[in-house]
Amino acid sequence: MIELKEVRKRYRGRNVLNGLSFTAEKGSITCLIGMNGAGKSTIMKAIMGLVPIKEGQILIDGKPRGKWMYEKVSFVPDHLTMPLGMKMSEGLTFMADFYESWNAERAAELMRFFRLEPKEKIGNLSKGTAAKYNLVLGLALNSEYVLMDEPFSGIDLFSREMIADVFSSELIEERGVLLTTHEIDEVEYLIDKAVILQDGKAGLEFDCETMRSEQGKSIVDVMREVYSR
Amino acid sequence: MRTGGGWEEVEFNSREPVYLQVVRHFKEMIVAGKLGAGQVIPSRRELGTLLKINPNTAQRSYKEMEERKLIVTEGNSPSRITRDDSVLQAIRAELLGEAVDAFVAAVRKVDVPVDELLDLVKSKYIEALSVNPAHADKEGSGERL
Repeated sequence: MIELKEVRKRYRGRNVLNGLSFTAEKGSITCLIGMNGAGKSTIMKAIMGLVPIKEGQILIDGKPRGKWMYEKVSFVPDHLTMPLGMKMSEGLTFMADFYESWNAERAAELMRFFRLEPKEKIGNLSKGTAAKYNLVLGLALNSEYVLMDEPFSGIDLFSREMIADVFSSELIEERGVLLTTHEIDEVEYLIDKAVILQDGKAGLEFDCETMRSEQGKSIVDVMREVYSR
Repeated sequence: MRTGGGWEEVEFNSREPVYLQVVRHFKEMIVAGKLGAGQVIPSRRELGTLLKINPNTAQRSYKEMEERKLIVTEGNSPSRITRDDSVLQAIRAELLGEAVDAFVAAVRKVDVPVDELLDLVKSKYIEALSVNPAHADKEGSGERL
């Protein structure tokens, strides 16, 4: 379980995270929902230790973060971080050199799943193709948790559909997935749990199916309620 | 395995539990003759991919259907639609009852004598069948309801 407890973070004189607490469990897909600027990317980076937090705790399976977690938690940022001069195949080798938990077999499977051409140069990829390649890099690790920052943002319909297919496939089975989005339509039927961000806190954290069966509300209905109060 | 038709067209309602909508879709496919008694159904994982839903939701649908004896899973073999005729007949009665209830609720808004209504239903139903014969291709295939 990834657990945030009362996390606070100030950025440019603003309280971006203001006592944020929530959990993301293994074997389920948790979605952080928030408007632009709600601090979604900051949360992801804070979990990965890429930005410092002022107060609060972030625990992975009950333990404070450390170097060990990079084999266990993989992060798919909202842009590719690989050197642009590399070919995609070279990028895969680069990852294999860095991570013990790299699974070359799964990487090859993912490259086929997304129909990516290993010989192509990373710098020449279209936005949609780059997003798919970015997912290959994150999902090919034998990690127990996968963090994905806006995996659907700004890419074409067919690429989005392909990426959505990942969520109902064995590629994420038994892992814990935490993703962020500001477009719910894409993920309405894919996620188990939603965390709605409001004023740097979790305005509401709920199980989507329970919400539907007990209150007859869709994720968007709940969002409207939270943001209008 | 015939898993061809009938899976892609599912349109979910975002305000109802998805797992129950999946169960309902199975029932509809059974009464429409698209899924026969004893027929092998897709695995949980396949269903998740086919319907583009969360794997846990697919799992929950199967659990619900197993509890209601709609499907049976023996050991490691793939799940199948039940061969229990009483269950299948109950599903048919359930869906038919719901459809008639909805029809009655809608038609109650109009003041109409029951005989006139029945005649109208009869002629419309016959007309609909002649345009698009239900189960015509399944005639004599044995395993239908």
